[in-house]
Amino acid sequence: MAELQRGIMSLRKQTPSDFLKQIIGRPVVVKLNSGVDYRGVLACLDGYMNIAVEQTEEYVNGQLKNKYGDAFLRGNNVLYISTQKRKM
Amino acid sequence: MTSLNGTSATPTPATNPSQLLPLELVDKCIGSRIHIVMKNDKEIVGTLLGFDDFVNMVLEDVTEFEITPEGRRITKLDQILLNGNNITMLIPGGEGPEV
Repeated sequence: MAELQRGIMSLRKQTPSDFLKQIIGRPVVVKLNSGVDYRGVLACLDGYMNIAVEQTEEYVNGQLKNKYGDAFLRGNNVLYISTQKRKM
Repeated sequence: MTSLNGTSATPTPATNPSQLLPLELVDKCIGSRIHIVMKNDKEIVGTLLGFDDFVNMVLEDVTEFEITPEGRRITKLDQILLNGNNITMLIPGGEGPEV
């Protein structure tokens, strides 16, 4: 997470990088800028928000479209990463 | 970052307290509700847990709103990391576009 911290006032807030360390291995929802939704288990990620997800389901407009064993998501497309206890 | 006030060093009466920097305002909001307007007809309301220099934000108890179709909303519990790239505006204490 060095990239996320390397501002003028570095190490000002730890929380985003702490959060990312905490959620590895947990089921997550990753929403992209396009609105497409991916749900799976977070395998790993880096400071650019590039993400590797396992047992991924792809939802477009709330509808399940695809399933992937492993998915790599490029960080520039990521809108948010959420842990997955949710109701809709 | 250039200072908006130039180099005025004159002592100021009570009308002009020392400047509040934008990130300081965000920092004050940690622990309370915040309403975030994104670039693309989307708004997020949640409790601010923290952020970084790029204004990526960690939020809790989040509700996501899509603005254009009649206020569709998705409620998420637990925590999210919101990518700062798409954030347009932050509103401390905001309730969101409740209908």
